[in-house]
Amino acid sequence: MVIDTLQLSGIIPLETSCNFSRIIRGGCPGYSRKPYWRGTTLSVAQPHPRASRAGAWRGAFMNMLPRFLLRWSRFLLLIGMSVVLAACSNSPGNTYDPHGDNARRIYELLIPIWWMALGVFVVVEGLLIYAIWRFRRRSDSSATPAQVHGNIQVEILWTIAPAIIVLVITVLTFRTQAANSVIPEDALRIKAIGHQWWFEFQYPDAGADGKPIVTASDLYIPVGRPVTVVLESQDVIHNFWVPKLAGKTYMIPGKTNYLSFTAEQPGIYRAVCAEFCGEAHALMRFRVIAVDEAEFNRWLAQQKTPPPTPAGTLTVNGLTGDAARGQAIFLDARKQCIACHAVEGTNARGQIGPNLTYYGSRQTIAAGVLPYSPENLDRWLREAPKLKPGNLMSRVLTPQWIRQNLSDQEIADLVAYLDSMKVSVTLPPER
Amino acid sequence: MAIAERPAETVSLPRVNVRPGWAGWLSTTDHKRIGIMYLVSAFVFFLIGGIEALLMRIQLGTPDNTFLTPDVYNQMFTMHGTTMIFLGLMPLNVGLGNYMVPLMIGARDMAFPRLNALSIWLFIFGGLMLYVSFFVGGAPNVGWFAYAPLTQKQFSPTAGVDYWIVGIGLTGVASIAGALNFIVTILNMRAPGMTLNRMPLFVWMQLIVAFILIFAFPVLTVATIQLLFDRHFGTRFFLPNLGGDAVLWQHLFWFFGHPEVYILILPTMGIISEVLPTFSRKPIFGYAFVAYSGVAIGFLGFLVWAHHMFAVGLGPLANAFFGAASFLIAVPTGVKIFNWLATMWQGSLNLTTSMLYAISFIGMFVIGGISGITLASPPINVQQTDSYYVVAHMHYVLFGGAIQGIFAGIFYWFPKMTGRMLDERLGKWQFWLMLISFNLTFFPMHLSGNAGMPRRIYTYEADMGWGLWNLISTIGSLLLAVAFLIFLWNVLTSLRRGPIAPADPWDGATLEWAVSSPPPVYNFAVTPRVRSRRPLWDEKYPHLVNGSHEAPTARPRSPLHDGFEREIPAVMEPIHLPSPTYAPLIVSVGITILGFGIIYLGDFGLIAASAMLVGLLIMAAGIFSWVRISHIDSPHHAHHGV
Repeated sequence: MVIDTLQLSGIIPLETSCNFSRIIRGGCPGYSRKPYWRGTTLSVAQPHPRASRAGAWRGAFMNMLPRFLLRWSRFLLLIGMSVVLAACSNSPGNTYDPHGDNARRIYELLIPIWWMALGVFVVVEGLLIYAIWRFRRRSDSSATPAQVHGNIQVEILWTIAPAIIVLVITVLTFRTQAANSVIPEDALRIKAIGHQWWFEFQYPDAGADGKPIVTASDLYIPVGRPVTVVLESQDVIHNFWVPKLAGKTYMIPGKTNYLSFTAEQPGIYRAVCAEFCGEAHALMRFRVIAVDEAEFNRWLAQQKTPPPTPAGTLTVNGLTGDAARGQAIFLDARKQCIACHAVEGTNARGQIGPNLTYYGSRQTIAAGVLPYSPENLDRWLREAPKLKPGNLMSRVLTPQWIRQNLSDQEIADLVAYLDSMKVSVTLPPER
Repeated sequence: MAIAERPAETVSLPRVNVRPGWAGWLSTTDHKRIGIMYLVSAFVFFLIGGIEALLMRIQLGTPDNTFLTPDVYNQMFTMHGTTMIFLGLMPLNVGLGNYMVPLMIGARDMAFPRLNALSIWLFIFGGLMLYVSFFVGGAPNVGWFAYAPLTQKQFSPTAGVDYWIVGIGLTGVASIAGALNFIVTILNMRAPGMTLNRMPLFVWMQLIVAFILIFAFPVLTVATIQLLFDRHFGTRFFLPNLGGDAVLWQHLFWFFGHPEVYILILPTMGIISEVLPTFSRKPIFGYAFVAYSGVAIGFLGFLVWAHHMFAVGLGPLANAFFGAASFLIAVPTGVKIFNWLATMWQGSLNLTTSMLYAISFIGMFVIGGISGITLASPPINVQQTDSYYVVAHMHYVLFGGAIQGIFAGIFYWFPKMTGRMLDERLGKWQFWLMLISFNLTFFPMHLSGNAGMPRRIYTYEADMGWGLWNLISTIGSLLLAVAFLIFLWNVLTSLRRGPIAPADPWDGATLEWAVSSPPPVYNFAVTPRVRSRRPLWDEKYPHLVNGSHEAPTARPRSPLHDGFEREIPAVMEPIHLPSPTYAPLIVSVGITILGFGIIYLGDFGLIAASAMLVGLLIMAAGIFSWVRISHIDSPHHAHHGV
């Protein structure tokens, strides 16, 4: 039990033997209540302005105070424990659980600083709590303490001490910073473009005829090979953050930023936009899918060829959609899909919304709003404004417009078409 | 008490010209009344900002909650930040300063009493203007930092951002005018004998803050005016596609924004540098170190703005410089903390509510300082910035620090300002409840931030594992609200039924305790003569002066009476007080109407232009009346005319 250990090691006083309240009541052998400055200075009678009213209560409060403090310090210690526990728990965004070199170097820098911080915390808070307990005014004390104005030696001491700690931290910081700002020559370059509110990814020169491969919301990278993400923005400032792989870097319109990191373990990593970018900022998420190099190359090769002619059917919510019919609806200009969306190998070349090539293999719908499934895709097409307020698609194609222009059957066909475009890739575990 | 009471019969007291009732407040130029107006209006705004925070906490209490829509949530955090900084903390500090600085330096008023009145009215109207936006199409929803280009018209079409620009502009003018007023007052109007190195530390910190303010605030004002022109008049300062630069806004904003942090925290460091010595019955330890570390913090505060921008991609060299400069601030801050500890050391600590708040300031500020160290390290920063870790850090500094410091000040000076004691029992309930619930609210945010929770999100998924921390935070915030209700109840009941406060209830050391509670309109019947850093203390306890290196070399035998006999000559200077006037109020009404015109000038040209004209005319009338009253009121004119 944690509390027992702390009591035994003296961090928390043992309640059974000699606690603060007993000391105050004078019930503990070996504790002198006499202030040690007594007799060293002049005494001045101190009538308290509210002696009559506040005096009695103050006496009672003095007895309460240390118990309060005791509880409080234990509360803080427990919270300190939970910091450690939180570090071990595995939230998908846990920065204390790095799986990439960039994030790991940051974590390794944080640990020594964390211990120094803990030391400073314990010393300062300890002195503070000790001072409250040791020097609080006793009701029987009317002494005026020695009027000390300062001491140049201790001032120099406690100017230099923090300066040394800070110097050590600065040196450690610079080392990590130097390592983390390297942009390797041989790194795989991927362009990431921020949009309100989704991420676009381009693999330059990787597509057919030297065109880029364009995708969205899922960023595939190879494990063990440095990746340099070239960060840009189409509209406002966004912020590219994969907590387990690397620190944040802004995506700024009119400026190009670079972030290099190497994923050390295969996995599907949660990632978000971390800079407030408007109404649906909270729903601007993406996944980084780190697979081994062979699998990554296989994925690239499939992305390079356009999806085959759709065929087959899919039943969603009782309606059976036909993929081929769905493609025809998708490509029908009156249905508006291709005004914004593109699919390789078709005449859908919209540039405003996410590229939907191989949409059936996406991890999520609408930049992380829903996990990918045909049922959720069906729901997204019907309830987009509710699921992701402010999104561009539902501002243009209102639910009313959709009701008037797309029948249930047509929606089922669209879902069947989008779901039919799949790449074959062995997915790593969720991290 | 000699300083205060003796001269009553020897001096002809001034004809006090105060209008009764509301008119007295609307026309006042008395720094004490203006201080109270600052405190009351700022506290109202502060409560509104707190309600906004509660609404956000309720929304975040559980994952995937739908209590607030995203747009309303975005308005809430924008207004919460803007309110707490510009309409809450800053004016609370200004209010305490306005009331106490002239008293502490032995002056009768601020140097420019009418300008002081202009400041309070512009502040109130600026704040109201920000809140008007809720009723005319939506409050600003771009964050208090208003990063370009999200603030441009194409991304934020509502007038919210325009109200933000003009509202902040008005409070900015108020702050700059107030800062100049503080500087001139402190440098010119100190009582004879009060050298800079004998000034109370609260006055020192207010002086430093005033200097920070006049260098930092105009930068924000310029940036917001550029933004206004971008939005309405076709300029492209911050729009990158036509040659502007989105990052420029960040540099301008944080060049103001980081010193702003010290504008908020330094006055409260001044407060606890008064409270700790008083309730420890000792002088401040290392006066010069506490004062000059404040100067160092103020100076370094201008060299660290880009630590808010480590993820922007300024390059490793720039980040290294700003990281190192930010680390440096830990040194003067550490010096202050150790000196406060040493002040308490071997003291006789009277644990009043005020003292508890001052001690708790140290305890919580240390936590905020430690989390600040990791944020100052560029590599660590890019993991922690824009996450809830920053929210935790900043609330430990600005709530655990600034707000607790302000409560220390309010419990300390409430008797002086109102003539009534606050209830200590309720005060202690409030303190303990606030301390516990503050930690419940904000400590878990360190953990959710390190678990990857970004700031300014209105919702999160259950499987992210942030649910527990957020639930604890929400419970804590509801308890915090209870603590504030206890305070409100305490103030309202104590104002009516609280025990009458004596002039010097805490056995204080500085000059404000030498006058009655509340002080007379003219503060001091006779300007006191100051011989040490603790003029009142040394007068009360002359036998203790021996131990003080502050003691004058040739000390008169009886400090109680020496000098004053000679100071009260046969020909007394009559006490000159400024007359009440509505001119500052009229001028601010004019400027506010002008501001409304500016907001709509781009969209409704003719109507807005007429509103601007009306505003300008009212302003001109106000200025005319101002000039007239200041001519009539000049000491020269008055004393030869009467």
